[in-house]
Amino acid sequence: MRRVMAIVLAGGRSEGLGVLTVPRAAPALPFGGKHRVIDFTLSNCLHSEIFRVALLTQHQPTSLVEHIGAGRPWDLDRLEGGVQILQPFVRREKAHWYRGTADALAQNLNEIENATAQHVIVASGDHVYLMDYGQLVQAHEDSGARITIAVTKVAPERSSRYGMVALDDQHRVRRFDEKPETSELQWASMGLYVFDAGWLMRALDGLTGPDLVYDLVLPALAAGERIQGFRFQGYWEDVGELGTYYRANRELLAPRPALRLDDPRWNVLTRNEERPPARFGERSRVTNSLVAGGARVDGTVMNSVVFAGAWIEEGATVEDSVVFHDGWIGKGARVARAILDKDVIVGENARVGDPGAGEDADALAVLGKEAVVLAGETIPPGTMVPVGGGRGRALPPSEAAVAARGEWPR
Amino acid sequence: MSAGARYAFLLAGGLGSRLCLLSEKRAKPAVPFGGKYRIIDFTLSNCVNSGIFDVGVLTQYKPGSLRDHIGSGRPWDLDRNRGGITILQPFQGSEENDWYRGTADAVYQNLIHIRRRRAEDILILSGDHIYKMDYEPMVEFHRDRRAAVTVAITTVPESAVDQFGMVELDPRGRVLGFQEKPALGTARTSFASMGVYLFRREVLEMALAEDAEDPASAHDFGRDIFPRFLARGIEVYAHLFPHYWQDVGTLDSFYKANLDLVGDRPPFELADPDWIVHTVSLDQPPVRVGSGASAFRTLAANGVRIDGTSERSILFPGVVIEPGAVVRDSILMHGTVVERGAVVERVIADKGARIGPGARVGGPLAEGLTANVVCPEHLTSGLTLIGKSARVAEGAVVGRNCRVDPEVTDAMWTASLEDGGCMASPPGATPSHGYDLPAAETVKR
Repeated sequence: MRRVMAIVLAGGRSEGLGVLTVPRAAPALPFGGKHRVIDFTLSNCLHSEIFRVALLTQHQPTSLVEHIGAGRPWDLDRLEGGVQILQPFVRREKAHWYRGTADALAQNLNEIENATAQHVIVASGDHVYLMDYGQLVQAHEDSGARITIAVTKVAPERSSRYGMVALDDQHRVRRFDEKPETSELQWASMGLYVFDAGWLMRALDGLTGPDLVYDLVLPALAAGERIQGFRFQGYWEDVGELGTYYRANRELLAPRPALRLDDPRWNVLTRNEERPPARFGERSRVTNSLVAGGARVDGTVMNSVVFAGAWIEEGATVEDSVVFHDGWIGKGARVARAILDKDVIVGENARVGDPGAGEDADALAVLGKEAVVLAGETIPPGTMVPVGGGRGRALPPSEAAVAARGEWPR
Repeated sequence: MSAGARYAFLLAGGLGSRLCLLSEKRAKPAVPFGGKYRIIDFTLSNCVNSGIFDVGVLTQYKPGSLRDHIGSGRPWDLDRNRGGITILQPFQGSEENDWYRGTADAVYQNLIHIRRRRAEDILILSGDHIYKMDYEPMVEFHRDRRAAVTVAITTVPESAVDQFGMVELDPRGRVLGFQEKPALGTARTSFASMGVYLFRREVLEMALAEDAEDPASAHDFGRDIFPRFLARGIEVYAHLFPHYWQDVGTLDSFYKANLDLVGDRPPFELADPDWIVHTVSLDQPPVRVGSGASAFRTLAANGVRIDGTSERSILFPGVVIEPGAVVRDSILMHGTVVERGAVVERVIADKGARIGPGARVGGPLAEGLTANVVCPEHLTSGLTLIGKSARVAEGAVVGRNCRVDPEVTDAMWTASLEDGGCMASPPGATPSHGYDLPAAETVKR
């Protein structure tokens, strides 16, 4: 779709993800064994034939920048269009960070002008879903609306996290309650919009506040502009919180997952790492799990997602957990209901998470990148271990490995 | 080493008849290996990991699959403005052009490609060996001795000398003589040529021009070029490569080299970040292991789904092992499906094979089995081969040393296949990958 430009908001800190977003922006978060969260939005763009994509970044963009590169995995390394990363920059007259979603768009107004697009999609980089944006744009064109908002049904108890909308029988938005305490409305905004490009540029020009919802969408609604809802029926999850992030990973383990990673017509593309096949050892026991190429399992893995390069040693157990790239779980260690960021070391016979009787069965233990759990140590359920810190101490990886076992594990 | 100082010719054109149906539709270097690789990936990765970014791949026999795999050379960082990878097909044009008459002739006909390059050292490599070698120490050795040509050598067990060109040396590493595939017990040395040659450019050009004029020559480096050098007193040196090197030109060596990767002591580490074996990575999700599945001593690439049992096996992307199915000591290439309750043992299945529910294919190692009727020389050790996109019908029984040809359909299974048997492809069903030449023209040797 040559007339469409997509702008992906990928700059937020996503406090709800705790230590996982200390070293990276939420869209760069590993997901499902080999993907990053942003892959879903970028793959949607590719399959929808939108080849002009801008990523607005601000918080810890390094990991995202490396992942995107020139955009080749998504066929976005192009002469015309392609993917560009728009980081805040200094101007002669002023210099400030993006103060909000609408401000980020306004600061890049000339990029929108230069794209000469007819429609602008604004999407969030921390949602996982497979969607044909072509249908969304078609509905937008057919209705002649200024704004079309994609909406999905959410459970009533989650309505306080979303913009809840009321649609009339023509699917026109009649009411928009941003993060209401409670709501009788069932359709929630997915934070995915199509704007009429000319209208958007005028609105950004006259912006009075930094927020896309409060300072742009709600005033437009109040002014009587036509805003349409587009009802999306497929799987959609906002993984900007630990609970939803963990659940979305676990849902991939269902016999027929609602979110398909292997649909040949809509596959989720990512930067493939150069890793050998996954290796299962003599005494490995694996059930109901995803194990990425480059992982090595000599112990037990149940109901878990294991990324490339992670090594589960003989006699170690990983259950109901997500283990990112290159983690090492030593002999006899037990990890349950935990999320382990990249390069985490769990020493021999250590215990991570693993709620017992009388403990909160839903509590997640989360270990930050390069965290080290000493041999025999216990990390109770619900604990969050900081980046690079065994019990809050930051150790260089060489010392950490020595502390964990007495030798580097490879 | 300045950029552009070296050029590698990679010989990838030979007819790999000893791999039986695995290489009937593709050049041997394009045969899948190790769960996600092709055989040629090891040599190509050796080149780029050694800093050689200028490579010509000489193809002749069924290059389609190889060409698809190499593409623009991107996985090896060989899609370059200066240098990079070129696929060199036989061509017509000069006075006496024909299909390649031998390895030396293949290089001779493509010398034009190095004419405008500054390369001083020309490597001649073989595309069908599994090894991880830094060519740099060999180049240093070659330059230190001001050798005209240096041949890489490895040690082989006495029981295998009849498969190799054996090399006799003096203590300085100077070659005293060659023995081409000597009969067992007659070898004078345990050093075998690895098919890796490093030439000074002008030596290569002169030697090949002369060889091309010799009507008695078979145009082979080992058989013709080097013996002629020795006869004239031109110094040939040998450089010992002391690590794992495996010729995978026979079914048994191909099978063993694969299964070694899931053995007690894998001969080399595929996960070494300092020596990545580059290949085309497919966009496939992680391995899915279902409830009630078991996988041990298995290599499984992304895109594999295991709901049954896999033991000591190599599983390529897209392989599916359904609940209750058992796969043992086998190599299953891309997209092979083993349906419910089927048992597969010591089997090599080519891409897209399908083993029907409850079928039994192959069997354990045993003595005195009947060799295969179609490949009596090569399919003898009890392995069973399933061709590309072939189907084994529900409940069918297939013995050892069997060969099920590509595209065999369910309806063709009216009886089981005894040890040594062959189920031939249905008539007309051989869409080959690449171009089929008239049989007489395929090989001229």
